[in-house]
Amino acid sequence: MRSKGEIYVVHRLLDEQICDSDGRRVGRVDDIELRGSPPRITALLVGEGLYPRRLPRWAARLARRISGPETWGSNALRIPWEEVDELSSTVKLRKKAEDLGLGMGDDPRRWIVGRLPWN
Amino acid sequence: MKTILKIALGIIAAIGGFLDIGDLVFTTQAGALFRYDLLWAVVLGVLGIGVYAEMSGRVAAVSGRPVFDVIRMRMGFGIGLVALVASTAINLLTVAAELGGIAIVLELLLDAPYSMFVVTAAIALVLIVALLPFGGIERIFGYGGLLLFVVVATVFHQNPDWGDVAHGFVPSLDSSALYLYFVVGVFAATLMPYEVHFYSSGAIEEGWTEQNLKENRLNAILGYGIGGILAVALVIVSGYLFHPIGVEPSDLGTVALPMQGAFGETGLLLALGGILFCVGGAAIDSSFAASYNLAQFLGWEWGRYQGPRKAPRFTASWLVFLAIGVAVAQSGINPVEITEYSVVFSVVALPLTYLPVLLIAGDRSFMSDFANGRIATFLGWLYFAVIVVLALAAVPLLLITNGGGG
Amino acid sequence: MSGTSRKRVRSQALGLLAAALLLTSPGCGDLSNDELNRGVESLSALAAQGQLVANGVARDATKTTYARAMARTLGEEAEHEAEKLADATLEESETEDQRHAAVAVAGEISDLLSELQTFPGDERHGELVEKHLEEAQEKADAIVAQLSGDAP
Repeated sequence: MRSKGEIYVVHRLLDEQICDSDGRRVGRVDDIELRGSPPRITALLVGEGLYPRRLPRWAARLARRISGPETWGSNALRIPWEEVDELSSTVKLRKKAEDLGLGMGDDPRRWIVGRLPWN
Repeated sequence: MKTILKIALGIIAAIGGFLDIGDLVFTTQAGALFRYDLLWAVVLGVLGIGVYAEMSGRVAAVSGRPVFDVIRMRMGFGIGLVALVASTAINLLTVAAELGGIAIVLELLLDAPYSMFVVTAAIALVLIVALLPFGGIERIFGYGGLLLFVVVATVFHQNPDWGDVAHGFVPSLDSSALYLYFVVGVFAATLMPYEVHFYSSGAIEEGWTEQNLKENRLNAILGYGIGGILAVALVIVSGYLFHPIGVEPSDLGTVALPMQGAFGETGLLLALGGILFCVGGAAIDSSFAASYNLAQFLGWEWGRYQGPRKAPRFTASWLVFLAIGVAVAQSGINPVEITEYSVVFSVVALPLTYLPVLLIAGDRSFMSDFANGRIATFLGWLYFAVIVVLALAAVPLLLITNGGGG
Repeated sequence: MSGTSRKRVRSQALGLLAAALLLTSPGCGDLSNDELNRGVESLSALAAQGQLVANGVARDATKTTYARAMARTLGEEAEHEAEKLADATLEESETEDQRHAAVAVAGEISDLLSELQTFPGDERHGELVEKHLEEAQEKADAIVAQLSGDAP
């Protein structure tokens, strides 16, 4: 049986903004991994592959087609709970984004935009 | 005296363009069809956006959360996604309408084809955003919008029957569907959510804290109050000139006719100039609001001060939204028609983006000592009720009145 | 049901659907008294707005690009209204006279606005167009009055 306090933490933690140690925004808590009995939070899960899980069944199939499978490393990432530094209005992590494989979407090296002159 | 001026200028810059094409279209049509009878709906809308903006600004300052962060946190992923999709679609229509509006004004001033101006307008906006500091941009569009005070001058020049005008501020519910449609339309045009979403994201970019709460309240009351004064003036001048002779305003250019009548070419140019700055500012606000909402919902890096290198997805999405706006504006549909749809649908979706903000603003665990007090709670819930009623009535009225065509 | 008869039912259904669409699509439908009324009222409104623009030209109190663009837009709307009224088949044949008159007025308004479009800076033209648009508006209003009188 989950304790009430824990459900509240999960409730508040879910969908929270995640920032790395530099304060850069690197995604939201799309799902939470709970293990053990009594359940403990072992990891935060981030990625589009997790979206189908969050939707009602009828929408999930369409969502799966759009956001892809939840294979670790591509469409979903696992952040071990130990990597969490502090919880305030965001979830702050201990390390930088690259070290955890996060924020790849905003990695300037993947975008031509970063090389435009007005920067 | 100097600080008052500084505050006033700050407010003006903060709110940017006071009116957008939706306000211009609906107030002018409301005046032409019902003379002064819908003035109360304008006031209702102005108070509404003040309430929504004050709450959103306060939530942003105290909890560091912009609107779509609040929406996802409070309503969860599923409902939040619905809100995001609806809001994005409406914002895109709005961007298209505003770009079309810019093109129409340029056509009226320069007499070259409309389609050329839509693309020109979009390119100009990209250049302005890329090259000018955002503070400067807000000041340009804010001060430029003040040109529309020629409308207020026109009111006094016309010298309408003030008793009749005063009567228009008293709420009355005519039974005609067309009247009710315009109640919804005028209210919705005044309370466009993208303005508030843009405002709340801006507050976070400026690094607002509890210290800024007084400024937030001033912005909400005075900033949107100025917009309200202009909207009221538009209804009056349009009611005075168009109602007695049966003009049906269906073009943006018609909005400027009363000012031409009162002050000739000068009045016309001031009016068109003011419209240009207001609609231009709105194009920027609505396109950025769309990008803010998307990035905030998905957790991307965002911010107009970040630039393309630090927030590439946010920047790319902004360019894509502008491009879609251009495509829709070029599609041959009259921007005034696009506006009517964007305004009506925005009130239908408004409950989804308003309620989470209201709930968080009243939640002590997020807001500590700055949660909604008694007045804010009362006004907040009162407006939620109003918004829900209008949201439910909007589409049926749109269909019954054939888009306000009667 | 066998294959061929199913196909026949389907093609019949499609045929009915096509007919229904054709009948309800604008321009091919019947013009009710109300819609004719609306059409003429909008002509009156166009004439009224045209007068305001022409008045600005007459007083040399406007910008020529504005007057030209406004005259063009209004003229297009008048033309569009004229075509709509001319193409539609009337629900009540008694209103044929009014419809005929309405199309004529629409044509007048459109021509006047064309003139304004061509001479947006000429005060004399502005005066004349304003006067004639006023006359056109009165004609339109008269047609509306006749139609309301005819209404059961």
